[in-house]
Amino acid sequence: MSSQSVTSGRAKAAGPSVGEVLERFELQKAWLVDPVSGREGTGEIVVTDGILESVVWLEGEEAKGVDDKGVIVAPGFFDLHAHFREPGFEDAETVATGSAAAAHGGYTTVALMPNTSPTLDEPGVLERIRSAARAGGSPVEVLAFGAVSAGRAGEQLSAMGELADAGVIGYSDDGAPVRSPKLLRSALLYAGMLGLPVVDHAEDLELTAAAEANEGYVASVLGLAGWPAAAEVNAVSRDLAVLADARRDEPHARLHLTHLSTAASLDLVRRAKAVGLPVTCDVTPHHLALTDEWIAGARRWSWEALSAEGSSRDPWADGALTAWPYNTSLRVNPPLRTPVDAAACLAALLDGTASAVVTDHAPHTVVDKKVEFGAASNGISGIETALGLLLALVDAGRLPLARAIAALTTGPASILAAWPAVAATPAARKRGLTEGAAADLVVFDRADRWAVTEESLRSRGKNSPLIGRELSGRVLLTIAGGRLAYEDPEVGDG
Amino acid sequence: MSVKTEAGAAHAAGSAPTQEVVWHHRHLLDVDVLTWPEIELIMRTTDEMKGILARPIRKVPALNGRRVTTLFYEASTRTRVSFETAARNLSADVVSVSTATSSVTKGESLVDTIRTLEALGAEILVMRHSVSGAPYLAAEIFGGHVLNGGDGWHAHPTQALLDLYTMRQHLPGGDLRGRKVAIVGDILHSRVARSNVWSLTAAGADLWLCGPATLLRGMDRWATAWSGGSVPGHGRFHVTSDVDAAVRDADVVMALRIQRERMQGGLLPSLREYAARFGLNTERVSLAKPEAIVMHPGPMNEGVEISPDVATSGRAVITEQVANGVAVRMALLYLLAGAHEAAGEHEVGHEVGHAHEGPHAPEATR
Repeated sequence: MSSQSVTSGRAKAAGPSVGEVLERFELQKAWLVDPVSGREGTGEIVVTDGILESVVWLEGEEAKGVDDKGVIVAPGFFDLHAHFREPGFEDAETVATGSAAAAHGGYTTVALMPNTSPTLDEPGVLERIRSAARAGGSPVEVLAFGAVSAGRAGEQLSAMGELADAGVIGYSDDGAPVRSPKLLRSALLYAGMLGLPVVDHAEDLELTAAAEANEGYVASVLGLAGWPAAAEVNAVSRDLAVLADARRDEPHARLHLTHLSTAASLDLVRRAKAVGLPVTCDVTPHHLALTDEWIAGARRWSWEALSAEGSSRDPWADGALTAWPYNTSLRVNPPLRTPVDAAACLAALLDGTASAVVTDHAPHTVVDKKVEFGAASNGISGIETALGLLLALVDAGRLPLARAIAALTTGPASILAAWPAVAATPAARKRGLTEGAAADLVVFDRADRWAVTEESLRSRGKNSPLIGRELSGRVLLTIAGGRLAYEDPEVGDG
Repeated sequence: MSVKTEAGAAHAAGSAPTQEVVWHHRHLLDVDVLTWPEIELIMRTTDEMKGILARPIRKVPALNGRRVTTLFYEASTRTRVSFETAARNLSADVVSVSTATSSVTKGESLVDTIRTLEALGAEILVMRHSVSGAPYLAAEIFGGHVLNGGDGWHAHPTQALLDLYTMRQHLPGGDLRGRKVAIVGDILHSRVARSNVWSLTAAGADLWLCGPATLLRGMDRWATAWSGGSVPGHGRFHVTSDVDAAVRDADVVMALRIQRERMQGGLLPSLREYAARFGLNTERVSLAKPEAIVMHPGPMNEGVEISPDVATSGRAVITEQVANGVAVRMALLYLLAGAHEAAGEHEVGHEVGHAHEGPHAPEATR
């Protein structure tokens, strides 16, 4: 029923293909969420020649019959952390397939990490990525981080200034931390001078050498080498200490900590923000919704694995193990943590400690994943399931819908807005339902559950632990910069 | 061979209440999936295999023409020989694949290796691998039966079952309930210890895991999780670095091998210090009950985790463990091969997780 309204709206469109400007698109009576104005409610939108021509909020009788459980219109999502693997690992993903996956997930802007081959440590690699994006024809906006260190080797700085001139939005050695505190200090200073941040993957590599799964009960039972929370806490602590030092010399020094996963490291960031350090952080959908017990074969959400007292329940005692253990699609860095840590990620999102949800979309080939758990590559193909995982939290009453949408839109944009060199760019400014601007939005049906299968994922990376599961919120339409990015096949048939 | 449970035994998980326990496991990857009646079935089947081993000609045609392949990714003498002896005693055809002689050294993936061995006719795959969970990957793709011969730090089910069998032989009535079992050594890296947690707590033993704090890491969290006795069919167990407390009044004392790498990893100061503080010597073993038995899964570092006089004392049952290992492995090969025929078809999908459907606390079963 709810997808009917989209279908009728779509019938008025000229039936463009991906990349083409939407000449005319109307949606009558849907639930609109505008995280910029903070408003949500029943309304109508009209897109003409790619421009969001009108947003009409309906009141009283006119608004009846529509609620936030059906078709929802929101600004297009912004993923501040994704891996599209090009150049170098095109069998896992390309800019084209990654963009298609992003659009299927409701994303209209993605920021790619530089751990490609060759590494994005000089402008030529950025140009290759941009030309791949142009050739792919997707309107999804592709941004990129440059490497902090040349070759991500952790020894000397990358071509930071040239990369800034070419348009990177920051620097990261993601996949690994910035190796030494000394290099991190230089990077924060130099990047600060350029008005850009250092984005760190916080991990103490000595504590995680050969580690396989979050250190604790589950890893102990499964005989997996423990990945201690202390490795992340120690790295965050180091980063904050170096930042406090660096900002005295360079007031524009900015640090962003990505995919934080433990209660203790989030608490460090909370306290650092309270004393005014220029630090931001994000969390991922999988660290919010999944936990280490999934490796043992549990398939319940993180909040279902919490006891009434807020401690982690025992999947063995609960008879909660329903799937085959050691599924390598659950092997990710940082590892899936305990239900208590997942609750801490959610609390950080709710209290603003974490400003955004990022996917850390990390597609891998079967060759890298259909191996022994300890030999498998780290990463989850997650850009198409992020919305569904957040809606699971919304459905469970754990996260207000508007907060979920904000975490995918204004949240990441606000992080960019704190980085002087990119604060005025469209990616840092848009993310509202703004009349007169290029239409950049997603339409999804919260009531329409879709099956995650290898076929339904557009990404080349089928390494999703959600394969075989249904998620809420089928994406019906994604419009990026006024152009069609994704359209559900069944909607097009209408 | 038809095996009946004793009167009053609990029913097998998932089946109607009946005196007969039907083996339904396609694979044996760990003891965690076994109900107590199934463990008892293995014990009784092992009794029968012991009977065969006592005959002048130790060979029966039970698995005549069946193809057993051993695939060992880790060096092991006793486990491989034990499995292959067991298979030959049952008249199975045995193919032996080791990593030194296969294309594994050329970088062939485990998945490819398993598919190749299946194409070559393997029916029962006995597998040893250095990575925890590897047999689960094998079982996911292999059309026959997978029998775990040890995976990483995770599980060594046949060792745990032969340990249990050996303990039952020496304890009055074969009953471990309330009997104190101390396992001393490198618990962190031990698949033997982990599998024994499942089987010995199922048997109702008072289990103590003991070692230096560096070699116990994480195990206390497991013990804490089970301290309420909340996992059906399993009881609580103790984790301690106090070796005297662990050994005192024990009925069974088991030493685990200490590997030299542990010093390089910064986990132990020296073997000498380990021997002094945790080694099972005569003085320490004298804290146990006078009739206590001493066990070791082998291979031993005599003078490190166990002193030579203890290893050769009348209390030591280490060679019995080796002999029982053949019988237990015969029993498991027999049960796995028989499950295939009894069911007439493969189980749909896979056995999942830890199949403690319904209560089967050991206390209730005997």
